[in-house]
Amino acid sequence: MQAIKELSIKPWFLGSLVFVFVVVILWNIPIEKRKYGLSQGNLATDYTGLLPERVERVVKAENRMELQKIVKQANKNGQQISVAGLQHSQGGHTYFKNGVVLDMRTFNEVLEIDKQEKTIRVEGGATWEDVQEAITPYGLALKVTQSQSIFSVGGSLSVNAHGRDIRFGSMASTVKEMTLLTPIGEIKKVTRDNSEEWMKYVFGGYGLFGVILDVTLELTENDVYTIHTEELKTDEYESYFNNLLDHNNTALHYARVSVAPNTFLDEMYVIDYNYTGKQDHKSSLKGEQGVHLSKLALDLGRQGGFFEDVFWETQKLYIDSIDGNTITRNNAMRSESTFMEFTKSGRIEVLQEFFVPVNSYEEYINDVKQLLSPNDKNEDFKVHNITVRYVAQDNLTSLNYAKEDMFGLVILIQHGLKEKEIANAQEIIQDWTSLTLEHGGTYYLPYYRYQTKEQFIKSYPEWKKFQKEKLRRDPNEVFQNLFYDYYIK
Amino acid sequence: MKNRSEEYIPLVVTVGQVAIFPYYIVWLKEVSLTFTLFAWLFAAFSFAAAWGYRVFQSKKNKNNSYIPFIYVGMGIVYILVGCIKNSFEILLYGVLLLQVILGFLQGYFRAWHIEQKAYHLHAVHHYLIVGVTMIGLSFVKIISPVVFITFFGILLCTCGFWTLIRKKKAELI
Ligand SMILES: Cc1cc2nc3c(=O)[nH]c(=O)nc-3n(C[C@H](O)[C@H](O)[C@H](O)COP(=O)(O)OP(=O)(O)OC[C@H]3O[C@@H](n4cnc5c(N)ncnc54)[C@H](O)[C@@H]3O)c2cc1C
Repeated sequence: MQAIKELSIKPWFLGSLVFVFVVVILWNIPIEKRKYGLSQGNLATDYTGLLPERVERVVKAENRMELQKIVKQANKNGQQISVAGLQHSQGGHTYFKNGVVLDMRTFNEVLEIDKQEKTIRVEGGATWEDVQEAITPYGLALKVTQSQSIFSVGGSLSVNAHGRDIRFGSMASTVKEMTLLTPIGEIKKVTRDNSEEWMKYVFGGYGLFGVILDVTLELTENDVYTIHTEELKTDEYESYFNNLLDHNNTALHYARVSVAPNTFLDEMYVIDYNYTGKQDHKSSLKGEQGVHLSKLALDLGRQGGFFEDVFWETQKLYIDSIDGNTITRNNAMRSESTFMEFTKSGRIEVLQEFFVPVNSYEEYINDVKQLLSPNDKNEDFKVHNITVRYVAQDNLTSLNYAKEDMFGLVILIQHGLKEKEIANAQEIIQDWTSLTLEHGGTYYLPYYRYQTKEQFIKSYPEWKKFQKEKLRRDPNEVFQNLFYDYYIK
Repeated sequence: MKNRSEEYIPLVVTVGQVAIFPYYIVWLKEVSLTFTLFAWLFAAFSFAAAWGYRVFQSKKNKNNSYIPFIYVGMGIVYILVGCIKNSFEILLYGVLLLQVILGFLQGYFRAWHIEQKAYHLHAVHHYLIVGVTMIGLSFVKIISPVVFITFFGILLCTCGFWTLIRKKKAELI
């Protein structure tokens, strides 16, 4: 006792105590501070918060009869309805001025798992996380999902999302059956060969063709993969990828392009998940790991210039270190996301995605090089990250971004919020979109609408048909959102 | 002359610290994300204060106290806090560092203060002045807590320099 007492008053002991405590706090400083979405006062926003708008009310979806009643009433009273999942879309896709918002987050039950048929029936507001938790014990995994599991099933299908899988085609193609609450208030079971083609419009339909109540998704085995990583030059990537596609050894794949000044758009690294022939029925789902370190590294990269070079080198070291590791399919489909949170006031980080045909990639990157400045340290418009994914040709949806096999370049951008800064970002992104169009490409619609309506029309030539079908199936234009208002109406 | 500054400056510092504390807490609460973090930032301050206290107590030569630098150090921390207008990604990390520095300096100052001849008199005056000051402040419609925090920071720096000059003069004599 005496010894403890003596120890506790020693300055070096107290100093060490402070040090240890400080380290513990540093490690526990939560990263997510930003608040967005329906809970923000009486103005609704989404992931970026760029388009705040007053909504009439938010209804927590729990009961399909209740939802049906709301839709029928809206048809009668001339009200507008929007559907919100996890609100990771960024262009006001989930709300409308003075409209009713259906908050689907509470509509998230797993209804049925068929182990033999390898299918799951799940409600539209469930997240991929909910689905993964339900199917992992059966040794099953999703065929197509985004790289993270933080999105809702209904939201992801409504943007026809894509991920890292290079074998199973589009997300829409993995849906066997769906229960839809139509814009006039009917509850319909819809299958793939439905003559009315509901799936064609609901998937990639941005919540404009009714509410996805539940879907039956095809599943696959929870395979175990070995990770293969490699560093490449940008001009080697096309042939590397074609080779990958021809040999059936790889299930998932993505790549990253350097945006650091020294290696700007010249260097890439690739990550492949190769079949081992084994499956996993036991190991559990991983949680978020190394969030603080990743966040610190990303914040370093955000400083630009020399630090961005350091960040790129660090990423390469990390990627090199995971070469040869094994991972299950389910775990490969739930990457960390919290570390990306960005909270600098007066500035914003947004995503944009451009698609280009696989065989135009090299020429495209060379042209993008002319468009952007390699060192954006002192510029307002900064590019932090470019990830490349493969998107297989999709003939199933109306507003399809992959008319042929494409590479999707997901770009993380930061810019200021002053009028001038937004206008500058808009100009650069519009130029970038025009360049993409010249290469036979398109851009992704769930993000903030920097593009012009002309660029939209060029990217999505079927939009007129989409508009016509919208008016035919929703004659009172009950389902609306800011995306519809800007692009389609 | 020497006695007067020895008598008044520590009193200004202790009174100022208590009077400015509510403003400082409002600021700290604004930058902390959760109560847990707020409480931990306090704990960091407290542990660091215990450390600072002991560091002074275990000093061999207590007359050579660095007290002017302690004042200036505290002053700089308050001025820095006053300068932080926006929240940015790494603010919390910075705040943690400031809490440790401030805690250490305050602990050190307190250990030094109670060794001073005038300390017991200060204790009584301190309570009375704080009472009156707080009533006075309650009538001031604040523009922003950081205005007071910065002002106090400048005051502390002035006290520090003043004490330093006095000390140098006394040494010369
Ligand atoms: C950090 C980040 C990473 C991303 N990564 C990827 C990626 O890897 N691949 C990719 O393809 N996309 C990606 N995205 C985009 C994301 O997939 C889409 O925004 C997706 O829609 C998010 O799902 P959500 O639940 O947040 O949908 P929300 O944003 O809530 O909704 C999206 C659209 O779906 C509609 N909707 C929602 N629920 C329903 C329902 N039950 N019935 C009918 N309509 C509905 C909404 O009205 C809205 O138009 C990413 C976005 C972010 C912010």
